[in-house]
Amino acid sequence: MKDYQPSRRGWTRGQVLLAFLILTSAIACGLAVYSSATTFIGVTRTAFSVLFLPLLLSLVLAFLLEPPVAKLSNYFNRTSSIFIVYLLVLAIFLVSTLWLLPQWQELWGNLTTDIPRYTAKLTEFLRQLLENLHNRFPVFESYDLPSKVRGWGEQLLAAILTSTPQSAMKVGGLFVIVPLFTFFFLRDGKAIMRALTAMAPNRHFEMAHDLSHLVTRQLGHFVRGRILEAIIIGLVVTLGLSLTDIRYASILGIFAGVTNLIPYIGPIIGMIPGILIAFVDLGVGPQFWWIVILYILIAQVLIDNFILIPILISRVSNLHPLWVFFAIIAGGKLYGVIGMIIGVPIVSIIKIAALEIRTYRRTFRLPETALDTERQY
Amino acid sequence: MDPLWNNIFRKKHDEDSLAYFLNNLPMFAELNGRELNVLEKMVHVRNYGVSEFVFEEGDPGTGMYMIRSGGVSILAKNQQGTDDELALLGPGDFFGETTLTAPAPRSATARTTEQTELIGLFRADLLELVERQPTLTSRILIGLTRIVSERLQTASQEIRNLNKLIGEQLPTEIVET
Repeated sequence: MKDYQPSRRGWTRGQVLLAFLILTSAIACGLAVYSSATTFIGVTRTAFSVLFLPLLLSLVLAFLLEPPVAKLSNYFNRTSSIFIVYLLVLAIFLVSTLWLLPQWQELWGNLTTDIPRYTAKLTEFLRQLLENLHNRFPVFESYDLPSKVRGWGEQLLAAILTSTPQSAMKVGGLFVIVPLFTFFFLRDGKAIMRALTAMAPNRHFEMAHDLSHLVTRQLGHFVRGRILEAIIIGLVVTLGLSLTDIRYASILGIFAGVTNLIPYIGPIIGMIPGILIAFVDLGVGPQFWWIVILYILIAQVLIDNFILIPILISRVSNLHPLWVFFAIIAGGKLYGVIGMIIGVPIVSIIKIAALEIRTYRRTFRLPETALDTERQY
Repeated sequence: MDPLWNNIFRKKHDEDSLAYFLNNLPMFAELNGRELNVLEKMVHVRNYGVSEFVFEEGDPGTGMYMIRSGGVSILAKNQQGTDDELALLGPGDFFGETTLTAPAPRSATARTTEQTELIGLFRADLLELVERQPTLTSRILIGLTRIVSERLQTASQEIRNLNKLIGEQLPTEIVET
């Protein structure tokens, strides 16, 4: 019996965990300092940042397509069911592209004339507002907001015109890489997870295995819920907008859907272009108010808050607004606009994983602690 | 027969294949070849060194282990805080089967006595299989239930015998408590 003693030297599991955390954070700090000084890490980081987005998108897509593939693999083998799902997705994609293409072309053609028009209208509105303000508070006289806004508008237009061909190239690349990655994630995802958990040491293998399953399931729910929510919001906004005379209804709807992925801030950003265009093109009238009501009351309050979020997304994955802001700012700093959109989901994913691990530990601690409290009383 | 042809008409599973081993366990005896192949992909093969802990008392338990080779001793803490050996298991034996369907903390410690190869079957995999292959899962579960029931019956019988023994020795004290 005595030879087993050295492996259990009076360290409780909490202490071991603490030591482990301190060690890993020390190593992480060391690495961070080191990485700023070496080119090797810089190179790997560049490679990783190139792969990061396609990998993430493929994972999301794999989570999204997993249920239909699983359904189909009851009838066909897995590879052919993936191909069938791919064909279906391709068909949906082609149909929606055919439907959207004329609108995109119109938007692209009008962009150079429209954005100056919208910003001119906005600056005009702001100038009137400021004149009103100046009359009451002369202090603001020196601050020239309208010209600033005009400057922003010009910058935005320039940015869109120059970066669209660039991002089109990037997106084109994604269209090749993402389906490929997704295919392998769908086909070999389980084997990959198995291989990863198999690397865990014997003593922790069982827990690692169970946790990987729990976390994967939660993640699947979360990703599917978020994407479905965005799609439904996009459809509702598109439908609501196409009832009015507003232009670009479908594009505004897609924009609202995509920005809806960011909690708190996303919906506000998503409604700005729609309301701006409605304000300029349609003027303040019944249609304008219908659009405002559509964005705020129908899409956000009614559909999203009362129907979709309770059904699709568990309250567990809700982040504190502060974390949301951190995630958006950090994501924007790291990966630009795309980083802003994916920052919050990534932080939510980390939170889900942490929560899952905590509840797991608590579930198994429960009988012991219950016994302990019984003894105390 | 020509040795070349022998190979084609060989028995479904080689004697040293994992499927053959699984088929020889009482809970998987009813499975056919195809089902054994699925099961083979579902279990996890783990290799342990000498006197390595498989799990300790109080650890989260989420599955069962089958011993393919080597030996495992099952230990439980007694009131003095030292370990009592409850059982010494060898190849073909299995342990931890009660947590496969109902997650619970491990009620005893399992430690290898020599170089050991264990086959792990875990709840997460089984739950996933329920949706994909309900028939196979039912067969596995029926086999498992049979084993657990047999053990339960033995345990109940033992408790009854013990109760009878205690009842004969200390009838008054039992009634008081």
